[in-house]
Amino acid sequence: MVKKRRLRLIAEMARKIRAYRELKSRPRESQKYALDYETMKRPHTGKMLPVLAWQDVRRESRLFSLLAGMRLFGMGRLFTRKSWLEEHTEPSYWQITKVKVDYTAENMDHGRAWGILTLKGRQESEVKELDKVMYHDWRLVPKHMEQQLKDFEPLPEPPVRYVPYPPLLRAMLLAQHKKAVGSVVAEEPVLPLKRDVLLNKDYFRRQEQETQRTEGTAV
Amino acid sequence: MAASVWKRCVTAAVKVKRLSPSLSARRWMLSAAYTDTKVWEAREKDHQNLALLASTMDRTYDRNLPVSSLTVSRFVDNISSREEVDQAEYYLYKFRHSPNCWYLRDWTIHSWIRQCLKYGAREKALHTVKNKVQYGIFPDDFTFNLLIDSYIKDGDFKSACSVVEEVMLQEAFDGPSTQILSLHALASYPATRPQLTVSEERALGASLLICGLRQDNTVGLSAQLLGNALLGKVEMLEGIHAVFKGMPLFWGRGYLGRALAVMERVAAASADVKLSKDALDYVKDLLQELSSTSDSDSSGAESAGEEEEEKKKEDTKDEDDQAERAKLAQYVSRLEELSSQLESQGKVDSASFRDSVAALAQQNLAAAEKTDLERYLSRVQAWEAENRQLIGREKEMREKAEQEKRERLAARAAAQQA
Repeated sequence: MVKKRRLRLIAEMARKIRAYRELKSRPRESQKYALDYETMKRPHTGKMLPVLAWQDVRRESRLFSLLAGMRLFGMGRLFTRKSWLEEHTEPSYWQITKVKVDYTAENMDHGRAWGILTLKGRQESEVKELDKVMYHDWRLVPKHMEQQLKDFEPLPEPPVRYVPYPPLLRAMLLAQHKKAVGSVVAEEPVLPLKRDVLLNKDYFRRQEQETQRTEGTAV
Repeated sequence: MAASVWKRCVTAAVKVKRLSPSLSARRWMLSAAYTDTKVWEAREKDHQNLALLASTMDRTYDRNLPVSSLTVSRFVDNISSREEVDQAEYYLYKFRHSPNCWYLRDWTIHSWIRQCLKYGAREKALHTVKNKVQYGIFPDDFTFNLLIDSYIKDGDFKSACSVVEEVMLQEAFDGPSTQILSLHALASYPATRPQLTVSEERALGASLLICGLRQDNTVGLSAQLLGNALLGKVEMLEGIHAVFKGMPLFWGRGYLGRALAVMERVAAASADVKLSKDALDYVKDLLQELSSTSDSDSSGAESAGEEEEEKKKEDTKDEDDQAERAKLAQYVSRLEELSSQLESQGKVDSASFRDSVAALAQQNLAAAEKTDLERYLSRVQAWEAENRQLIGREKEMREKAEQEKRERLAARAAAQQA
């Protein structure tokens, strides 16, 4: 006989209280991302920033350092990142739509922001949260340069190329099609050179499930 | 250095001033109708006891609850003495560091500046506008005009220029009246022969550039030229990062090249645009000064023979900044040919920059003021409507809270009895 597990109600309650207190004492953005500029360490975790970032941290500014000095925290303004300016020749920028400032910061230096991204000239359709807001990488686009950035027309994407399948795989595909439908397939099966699916865990799990369902030999 | 360069422009301006005393400041400033407080005072007042409001706000902050923007606006509206101005400054700071900081209303900011001007706390207003990060004061163009005008009327061009710098940092050069007033302040400031530090020069250059970009005439182009030249000087001395950090400026190198491009554009333009002579002279002197200091720097380092120090300095300076400095001689030669080209085309305006600004002001300020006043009146009405809506909403919420409280008490009493 298995001994019945004792109902430890007080431990349960203590666990809930500890979870609640941890939720309440989460560090604010200003505490998490505070930085000591002399030693390049974050006081919250004690970790040091990577060496290649030190020059940028000294020279450039965080997004919210720029937003704090702007009317309505820079809503509707465009912001670029220095790393994008160096990497891509086409203009990439974020247009800010919503800002949530961490009001406990002394200089209103931290917070979260949402906006519309335009990467390499292609504008996206939805509002997303800006990532890497706390990086010392951001530059304001002055109003007289805004039109220049927005006018850029990206080149159309080159058409997707197709190649024929390897011979064994092609034979397998044709045989499968003949078994399923009965007639010989009219056109040659082609492999697009652009992958539509994102290779992650969910995808492989789904593939395994599908192969388990279909039985029989392939050829 | 810079002061001696400006002296030459100053003597010309001073001579003109002596000749025609009527051209002195008073005539082309904002008219009395603009700075009149009648419209503002004629709003319906919401009289509240300041001490009561202050204690309410303190209690709300202690309990970590958000303070509404209506409370703050009521506080600022009901200021009646100089001490209360200081108290209001404290509450504005606290409001900025609270969750509702985004909702600070435009009319609160306008009323704060008006009250400061009324009770003689102009330096306080300037201090809050300068520390806009801490106080959240972002005035609109009408308010900026009032502030700049009050400084110009007193001849305090240094403070007027610092207000213009704030306008530049917010890129609020939208209204023509703001542009004209700022250009006047910027043109008159160097006449007082100040010793400019590099950061002050950078601010002056940036304000001149951004304000000049809005105007398409002689004044605007001369302002752009001067602005680009000043920023180019800072770029040569400190590097491009020192130029655009914290300012709404383009991060591309070559500000001096852009100054010369302005001259080229004027030379190539078919319309009747000119560049003022003292702007061109200033740019010439600036370039000569820069090339002479760079020559003396390099020769001094060689003669001292401290090669280690020179190597260390070269490591810290950026390679691209060094490439810019190498172009200095090129810029000087290009400037020579461009200025001769402009003079041959007759596109050099002999009137000083200050006088051309004055002429522009005389032409356009009256019309600009009229449109501004109309917009201001409609804006005041919109603000009043919003204010009333907020008061109504607050009343509703209070009634609802009261009702809920009464229901709760009734339920509790009923439960106790049963």
